[in-house]
Amino acid sequence: MSTIAPARGGTAPATAGDGPLTGTAALLGLALRRDRLKLPLWITGIAVFVPYFYTVLSVSGSQPGGMRAFAGLVDSPMVLVFTGPLFGFDEITLQRAFLTYTIEFLLGAALMNILLVTRHTRGEEQTGRAELVRAGVIGRHAPLTAALVLALAADAVLGLLMAGAMAGLGFPASSALLFGAGTAATGLVFAGITAFTVQLTEHTKGAAGLAALALAAAWTLRAAGAAQAVEGGPWTWLSPLGWAQLTRVLADERWWPLALSLGLAAAAAAGGYALSARRDLGARLMAQRPGPTSAGPRLRSPFALALRLQRASLLWWAAGMVVVGFVWGSLAGAMRQGMAEAIIGGGEDPALAYLSLMAVFMTVIVGAFTILSAGRLRTEEVRGRAAPVLARPVGRSAWFAAFLATAASGSVGLLALTGLATGAGAALAIGDGALVGELLAASLARAPEPLLLAGLAAALYGFAPRWGWAAWAVLGFGCIARFWGESLHWPGWLMAVSPFNHIPRMPLEGFAPGPVLALAALAAALAALGLYGYSRRDLDG
Amino acid sequence: MTAPAIEVRGLVKTFRTTRALDGLDLTVAHGEVHGFLGPNGAGKSTTIRILLGLMRADSGRAAVLGRDAWSDAVALHRRLAYVPGDVELWPNLTGGEAIDLLGRLHGGQDRARRDELVRRFELDTAKKGRTYSKGNRQKVALVAALSSGADLLVLDEPTSGLDPLMEAVFQEVVGEAKAAGQTVLLSSHILAQVEKLADRISIIRKGAVVQSGTLSELRHLTRTTVEAATATPATGIDTLPGVRDAEADGRHVRFTVDSEHLDGAIKHLGGFGIQALTSHPPTLEELMLRHYGDGDAA
Repeated sequence: MSTIAPARGGTAPATAGDGPLTGTAALLGLALRRDRLKLPLWITGIAVFVPYFYTVLSVSGSQPGGMRAFAGLVDSPMVLVFTGPLFGFDEITLQRAFLTYTIEFLLGAALMNILLVTRHTRGEEQTGRAELVRAGVIGRHAPLTAALVLALAADAVLGLLMAGAMAGLGFPASSALLFGAGTAATGLVFAGITAFTVQLTEHTKGAAGLAALALAAAWTLRAAGAAQAVEGGPWTWLSPLGWAQLTRVLADERWWPLALSLGLAAAAAAGGYALSARRDLGARLMAQRPGPTSAGPRLRSPFALALRLQRASLLWWAAGMVVVGFVWGSLAGAMRQGMAEAIIGGGEDPALAYLSLMAVFMTVIVGAFTILSAGRLRTEEVRGRAAPVLARPVGRSAWFAAFLATAASGSVGLLALTGLATGAGAALAIGDGALVGELLAASLARAPEPLLLAGLAAALYGFAPRWGWAAWAVLGFGCIARFWGESLHWPGWLMAVSPFNHIPRMPLEGFAPGPVLALAALAAALAALGLYGYSRRDLDG
Repeated sequence: MTAPAIEVRGLVKTFRTTRALDGLDLTVAHGEVHGFLGPNGAGKSTTIRILLGLMRADSGRAAVLGRDAWSDAVALHRRLAYVPGDVELWPNLTGGEAIDLLGRLHGGQDRARRDELVRRFELDTAKKGRTYSKGNRQKVALVAALSSGADLLVLDEPTSGLDPLMEAVFQEVVGEAKAAGQTVLLSSHILAQVEKLADRISIIRKGAVVQSGTLSELRHLTRTTVEAATATPATGIDTLPGVRDAEADGRHVRFTVDSEHLDGAIKHLGGFGIQALTSHPPTLEELMLRHYGDGDAA
């Protein structure tokens, strides 16, 4: 188009077909361009675990007694809580054993959809780019529609890729397709839920947080249902994470539970459209209280500022961890009964084995808070908010220490609350009040693990601020090593690299000061190293 | 040429407890550059968002190019282009990609004009959005809007990040747009900038337009403030035609004068031996203070 003569005067000509969806295709193109690396990484990153898990399983299954161990999985309520419902395990096959990994795929797909929809809807509004875009020939519902179409396409590709991989591994094609479709449909549910939550809050964090809350609720409902019965109790039917497994892949297969997924996805998305039509661009539907018009007397130091900035997020984390700790702690009651053999913990008291595993698990979750909180240093710097503070008589070390101290003390506080809540849940379920103190101690003994992550984040921030994501890689690696490393037959040195494999698993094992002190010292050394690097480098932003 | 390019009547918009627009009226004729002037928080951006159909007014009527700004938003956007005051770009798209994308979202772009504007604004289009400064992000949005051939350009404080050289380029380009028959709504809080470009000006304060007219109609607003030091105390300043607010303090004198009487006032001062002289046009704050007795609006 070389020239566009402006048509002057009169009224704008009506253009046929202009409506709320005009421009969806253009926005879809933009989204694909923006995500041309991110989305393929997500999809292959999830799908690659199909051949990986299956290969590892076939190694275990080929060992003497391996297949019998798989069949015993369903006897353990703890395994069911994390993997159930399961079908056809009375006649165990390697392929059916693979289905114990279903939840991991569903969670991966759900997270991909939550972040994708948030990124392309509220994320664009929050930055103000949506204003620029919507001033073009873009219908009111085009941005949300483009995000949902992108999610649908990503889920379809993910499902097909997983089904293809399974078919390649020798699964029956129809079963592989059902498994892939179940993952895709679950992803779509959370795309729909996110389409709803992004209408409620002004920032992506809140929107993604609400969707993650829905995901946690779904996980808990499914876990509760799995504890009720091997093939899923009534609670399972209430959970969007349960429906994919209720298709009974490889055992009397049925497709119709996926209709529940599609129905919920459509209903939630429709709710999102309805809410979005009732609000202005960039506005939120949840009310915001007016804040104080002047600073409180204690807001007078870098540490007070760091704490004030993270106050809301700390409170939300604390509330979430208390609920999760209590619910998971109370599941310890189920571990008491009918356990032939504890798969994790090998023969000891199953309730204590379960609780010690929970202590590790929740420390890993707190570790995510630690990295996020320490990451605030970087956010403050690149957004240009650190410079005006550092231009005042505030030293770099005070600023650095303030944020690190917030991350560290916040993590320890969360661990204490989590331990108390887990202990309270377990004590009520089992009827043993001593568990409260034991779980508090077990939780606090693990404090050096998140502190090490804080130290690592600090060292990265001091020397290689663009590599801050590496702390997440260590957390992810530690998580995989802790929960799958043993069953994946990882070598000892690889397991030893993980920070989560050294502190004894209390209350199953006794306290040992050696590893606790060693990790704490390492954390302090890394933090000091980070301060050294930070006080010497240029500031960005 | 029946309907004006923009016709707004009695616009009201309330955000929870704040009344952002309070019965705002605004008329912009076809082919004019209209200055939309007001202090921060007066309601300029809210008005513009309503004109773009991004917000819905609580009451009142907003018509753009003869059509309703809310219900016909998509069709209208084929004929208007917009530059916000705070431009955000996609971090992993280059400036060139962003310009073309915004052009396509608008529905067309004059390629030759785009390249010419990129050259004149000295924009490096190969850099990624995340590396641009505020001024460069603004250039991206300006190039996209000005090469779109839209009938109506809506510019919301479009030069707040530009240096004086680029500001001059911007003024040239807006002049060309006007010559090509495009209508421009130019919002700003700096009177001097709007003065250079605008045929007509509307001044907005606390959600309502308090003054609207051509520059000559608003001549009384464009008074020059003069401060001078003279060799002997200057007398008789306050009796000169067009002079107001005269204050004398020994050999220092300060007064304001209508632009058309500036020459006479300076000649009068010359009789006392001018040793130092500064003069500046009224700032928006001074206007607000002087004409509406309300300095805190600024």
